[in-house]
Amino acid sequence: MTMAAHSPDLDEGEARAGFLARHELPVSLVAGGILLALILAAVVLAPALAPADPNAVDLKVIRRPPSAEHLFGTDAIGRDLFSRVLYGGQVSLLVAGAGMIGSLTFGAVMGMLRAFGPWFLRPVVDRMIDIQLAFPYVLLAIAITSAVKPSVPVLILLMVLAGWAGVARVVRAIALQERAKDYVKAAEILGASGLRISLFHVFPGVLPGLMVLAAMQTAAMIVFEATLSFLGMGIQPPTASWGGIMLEGKDYITSSWWLTTFPGLAILMTSLSLVLIGDGMEARSERLRAKETEA
Amino acid sequence: MTAMRQALLDVAELSVAFPGRNGPIRAVDGVSFRLEPGESLVIAGESGSGKSMLCRALMNIQPGAASVTATRMDWQGRALGALSPRDWRALRGGQMAMIFQDPAAALNPLLSVGRQIMDVVNAHRACSRAQARSRAIEVLGLAGLPEPEARLASYPSQLSGGMRQRVAIALALAAAPKLIIADEATTNLDVSIQAQIVALLKRLQRELGLGLIFVTHDLDLAAEVGGRLMVMYAGQPVETGPVQTVLKDPCHPYTRGLLRSAPTLHSSRETPLQPIPGQTPKPGAVGAGAPFRSRCPVSVEGVCDVRRAPWSEAGPGHRVACNRFALDGRGGLP
Amino acid sequence: MSKPMIEACGIDKTFTLRRDGRLVEHRALKTVSADLHEGEILGIVGESGSGKTTLSRIMIGIDTASKGEILFHGDRVATRREWRDLRRHVQYVFQDPFTALCPTMRIGKALAEPLAIHGIGSREERPARVARMLEMVGLHPDMAGRLPSQLSGGQRQRVNLARALMSEPKVLICDEIVSGLDVSVQAQVLALLLDLQKRLGLSLIFISHDLRVIRYLCDRVLVMYLGEIVEQGRTDEVFAAPKHDYTRRLLAAIPDRDRPAHHSPIDEALK
Repeated sequence: MTMAAHSPDLDEGEARAGFLARHELPVSLVAGGILLALILAAVVLAPALAPADPNAVDLKVIRRPPSAEHLFGTDAIGRDLFSRVLYGGQVSLLVAGAGMIGSLTFGAVMGMLRAFGPWFLRPVVDRMIDIQLAFPYVLLAIAITSAVKPSVPVLILLMVLAGWAGVARVVRAIALQERAKDYVKAAEILGASGLRISLFHVFPGVLPGLMVLAAMQTAAMIVFEATLSFLGMGIQPPTASWGGIMLEGKDYITSSWWLTTFPGLAILMTSLSLVLIGDGMEARSERLRAKETEA
Repeated sequence: MTAMRQALLDVAELSVAFPGRNGPIRAVDGVSFRLEPGESLVIAGESGSGKSMLCRALMNIQPGAASVTATRMDWQGRALGALSPRDWRALRGGQMAMIFQDPAAALNPLLSVGRQIMDVVNAHRACSRAQARSRAIEVLGLAGLPEPEARLASYPSQLSGGMRQRVAIALALAAAPKLIIADEATTNLDVSIQAQIVALLKRLQRELGLGLIFVTHDLDLAAEVGGRLMVMYAGQPVETGPVQTVLKDPCHPYTRGLLRSAPTLHSSRETPLQPIPGQTPKPGAVGAGAPFRSRCPVSVEGVCDVRRAPWSEAGPGHRVACNRFALDGRGGLP
Repeated sequence: MSKPMIEACGIDKTFTLRRDGRLVEHRALKTVSADLHEGEILGIVGESGSGKTTLSRIMIGIDTASKGEILFHGDRVATRREWRDLRRHVQYVFQDPFTALCPTMRIGKALAEPLAIHGIGSREERPARVARMLEMVGLHPDMAGRLPSQLSGGQRQRVNLARALMSEPKVLICDEIVSGLDVSVQAQVLALLLDLQKRLGLSLIFISHDLRVIRYLCDRVLVMYLGEIVEQGRTDEVFAAPKHDYTRRLLAAIPDRDRPAHHSPIDEALK
């Protein structure tokens, strides 16, 4: 058979391959994306979807189990739990999302600075990372929240503090590895400054890894925010994030399971979707790399 | 003709194929040769010629996805295809051994040189610790390491590149093999070390009556090794014969192109090198035609596109697979 | 003879290594001096550990000398600014075509970068300059849209050459640039290098361990051994009548198809 006879087969094969395969989309990425999109839509559209005011007290329906009227049941002072979980997601996702962006940005800048910045900053960055990683951040959170009243900006700051060092360490490792390669030296010889090399040469190579990290980081942030709120260091009542709602339900965990189960499920599903996305992105960049080399 | 001795390795129409999107991709296609004890076969080719994959197939260490087919593949008259994994383990390292391009990859960095060699000795014959130790000293000496006894305790990281390659050779010799396959074994070494290693392999071949398969990209080095030469291109053998004959009277356009593009100690800018235009085809892109046709100045229209050349006799023991040669003989070559 | 383009004077380089837990001083270059004249091709040949790459790196300032100085057009290069100026006129091409290009940067952008750094030409005319340079090194201008991973080794080395030439340097230092290439491709790159040298009036420093390539390409050759220059002179003279014992040994170790059978030093060594 000649090559020409092969190509119609190829086109047919390509056409028959599913949409996912053609765009090199791993199943985990798609599944995680759909799940996250659903959660985000529900949280953003909370005002339209929520059957009741999340903070409206109704003492006639205290701690009712899930029913048609109250989808997730009601809490100790008769608030509709479904509405509270929807609105609570706004706080949780806002804090986690902003915390992720903040810690990623700060961490990446510090990591690149460590590899390409002026020499006197390098040990400073190293020690900062060490201290941050060695310091138990729940303790740090307690210290900060006892000094200032927790609010959304304070919580976001806490998230950044908790997350940046891990990011900086990853970026530092990749950047140092790249710095030893010839293309960085080649750019130096061409006269490129450290800033130019780190921005245009090394950073684009760090980016895919950073995207994967971003997904995982958000998942960790959601759990961390929930932990803080559960420990009473979160947004103050009556507004509640998912962790805060769980805190309120903690005392009734043996008698009213729904008070902790539903916000817990929300946290679980959200982190799961993000982890799936992270895995999927990693698999995708690997496949694309293989495909590119093949071409 | 003298009575045929039993060949160490007798291979006919050996192919190695990988599954590809449009059918199998042949990394090695139709290789045949016969190697007798004490003989050497030099396999020369550029990257993508399939020479390394051929070696791996001979040792049965090809990647898992590869499928090896051959009409004949006999080791001392015994069909290799019928061997069990257990038999293969005994044969590999015991009867046939391989030396790789990167000695660091062939040696375990965490074990001493002596320990690694003694392990090989013990794996292939029952002997005492003392016997294994004396054998290790013996092969290190054979491989030309000074003070072999002192070397037993060395770790690979404590040795220079050339010394490491000698240890790799000692390791290959440990079980007294009948065949050594050297896959670009001198490529990463300095020229003076390369000369020493080649001299060592030739001496061992002569003194121990070993068969040697020497893979290289350097035709000048092929001349120094001697024996028979097989030139490969894009997975296919294109010319084969005694090394000196092939290099003095190359009859395939690729062999000629390769020789004209490689500088020698006598070349200068007054007689410019003549590069082969274009680049090696990607695996699987050769199809049914002659492999070199896309870069060949004398390809035969309507023939080279559709069929591979049959083997033609160019001299005693000198064969060439070229449609142009089959048609016009030497006169048609560039 | 004209004034040298670039000159290395009394260069010493000492590395501190850790060997078996102790710090050991290793002298990689022992008071080496070398110069490059306008329009010439200077070969530096030696085996691993000879210091040939270290010398070339010091000449462009990627490594710093422990002692000695670099002169460019007779002027001492010392300050950051002076090194920056030097690097506009002296460029370097690396050995490994697979690591010398940024993996995420498209070829066109990589080639335009030297122009942006040195502020050469306007932003609008850069793509045309890139296309012209790609054609000059024998690549199709469409290559500008590709990533390095989509090119073969030979193509990448052409891109590396093109990139080094974008700032229109006068001197090009090539560190083993054909060593990783197949013989047929190596000949293509050597032909290109000679062509560029003639057309652009470049002065070349060509570093290689392969005496055959040096013999073919270079006007003058420095033979280095363990951090010293043991022999130098016109290539044909050094090859015809090597004076230093090391050069003789090196020449004898080069495999040669034209050597009468069984007269090679390899066979001599067997006796």
